[in-house]
Amino acid sequence: MEAKQGWLASRVPGLGCVCGLMKEGRAPGVCWIAALPALLGALLAVLLASGAVITVYYNPWHAYASLQGITREVRGGWLVLSYHQVGASLAFALLYLHLFRILLVRGYRAPAEFAWMLWVKLLALLLLTGWLGFVLNGGEGGYSSLFNTSNAATTLSGFPGAVAMWFLGGQPGGSTLARLLVFHVLLALCAVWVILMARAAARKARPMLQGRVVPFWPVYAAQYFAALSALALLFALLLGFAPHWGQGTQNAIPAAAMAVPSISYPWYLTPLAGLAGVFPSVTGHIWAVVAAVALLYALPWLDRSKGAPPGRVYKLLTWLLALDVLALGLFTACPIGPMLPELLTFWFFFHFLVLTPLVTMMEAA
Amino acid sequence: MMRRFFAPLLAAGLLAGAAAHAEDTLSPLKFQSEGAFGSIDLAAAQRGFAVYQGVCASCHGMGALHYRDLQALGFTAEQVAGIAASVKLADGSAATPDSHFKEPAPVNMGGATPPDLSSIVAQRPGGTRYIYNFLTGFGPAPAGITLLPGHNYNAAFPGGQVSMPDVLRDNAVTYADGTKATKAQEAADVAEFLTWASDPNLSARHAVGLRAVIFFAFLTIVAVLTKRRIWRQEG
Repeated sequence: MEAKQGWLASRVPGLGCVCGLMKEGRAPGVCWIAALPALLGALLAVLLASGAVITVYYNPWHAYASLQGITREVRGGWLVLSYHQVGASLAFALLYLHLFRILLVRGYRAPAEFAWMLWVKLLALLLLTGWLGFVLNGGEGGYSSLFNTSNAATTLSGFPGAVAMWFLGGQPGGSTLARLLVFHVLLALCAVWVILMARAAARKARPMLQGRVVPFWPVYAAQYFAALSALALLFALLLGFAPHWGQGTQNAIPAAAMAVPSISYPWYLTPLAGLAGVFPSVTGHIWAVVAAVALLYALPWLDRSKGAPPGRVYKLLTWLLALDVLALGLFTACPIGPMLPELLTFWFFFHFLVLTPLVTMMEAA
Repeated sequence: MMRRFFAPLLAAGLLAGAAAHAEDTLSPLKFQSEGAFGSIDLAAAQRGFAVYQGVCASCHGMGALHYRDLQALGFTAEQVAGIAASVKLADGSAATPDSHFKEPAPVNMGGATPPDLSSIVAQRPGGTRYIYNFLTGFGPAPAGITLLPGHNYNAAFPGGQVSMPDVLRDNAVTYADGTKATKAQEAADVAEFLTWASDPNLSARHAVGLRAVIFFAFLTIVAVLTKRRIWRQEG
């Protein structure tokens, strides 16, 4: 191992570094939840591999029909499509969980603020990639969403308008999905790069090891393997028995050039869709999404605690925020009251803009 | 009209081989394809195809399917060739096993177009049961509901009225396996057939999923025990 590592490291520095991770010392007794980024990386690998197969057979000019062909005609195609679908669902679940955990322990503060910003970038990338995947299905919901978005984009002017024009290419037409497929793949590759960067940054931001140190191999390798195996179990459960969980039936209908009254998004996009839907006009929706992600990004500056450990009130508020986001998704998917999304969205912004600075300042005092 | 006339003959020819009677799955209603361990009931799906071909196909296409795909329901290659040969395409030629299901002539039901049924079970909330409830949900409109012109009352359809007429009736087809072709039986059979058409891999998916779950459940137990052992020694 030693000799091999030296041999590799002297020829391929990057790979030598990967081997070095196996010997890296760590503090003892770290919770399994710290393995989430590694699991997320494994899911991204599944998504890339299955995506590579799907891209070979996918035809953006006949999106719906080509996916039907992959399901019905390509040997094992239905399984690969399900890998992609279930992989996307679980990747979002793990990323949301990871972000929540960082919020709860205030892991976004210096010196880990750079890692936090990278995790938020990963969220933005995955949301955009996930939305593109939703659109690329060629279903009714995806097409309506694309139609609304590109319509709104044509009303933007100046730099945002130019970016939107470059991205969407104006009104949706035959070649729009071909263009979006390129972005879907490119952004997915970017996500891999960002997750590697975020992991490196998070590793650098760890406190100096004091006292007893245990090696990664075999102590944490065994933990990671157990976590990976449990994730695979969850994956198999969804794959076999609920492949379309949280996807709705709307996108199974082929797109027609007719708008649907309300779009049902996959579960991982619903909280954001609900938040956006509160604001008037589709341009308002776009800016609401940008604002929500920007707020997360600005969290290291909104927190005024200056290194104090998270207090009880802060933790309670963070749990409330998680419930708020879950409820926002739930009540967007199955609306029950007229004012509920508005209230939940208000709480989301109120939490970050008012409560976070206030409570952290009070707890630090 | 020709299709109506030939439908019983066609169904009889199709199902000559299968002699088993269907067990009673109508009261209470159950579908073999339902649930985590569900699989397609091939006999019911074969009967359901006869219903589709004899009744539904005059207005609804199933463009994503080929006649050769029916082999997955247990039809032999000769039977499939026979089924295809009995279908006359729009240009007058007979279909082959590699042809897509015949597209019916466009029908306009007072502005509504009959939807393609290839993936209908995946496209409707409630899936299989919705199809059954819809096909058996026609009836006289209750008091207080005024039907639009050209519409029929259907308790299962969102909004309660639909352009499609009540097409299923007792003995609309003759089942070759001797099953009594009641209206409810036909509805249940065609619902099972459409479930297969929407998700031809349903049975395989459940089989693969079950094996994978068992494997990873054991692997997870072993991995957790190993981790604990290592942590006791080193941690």
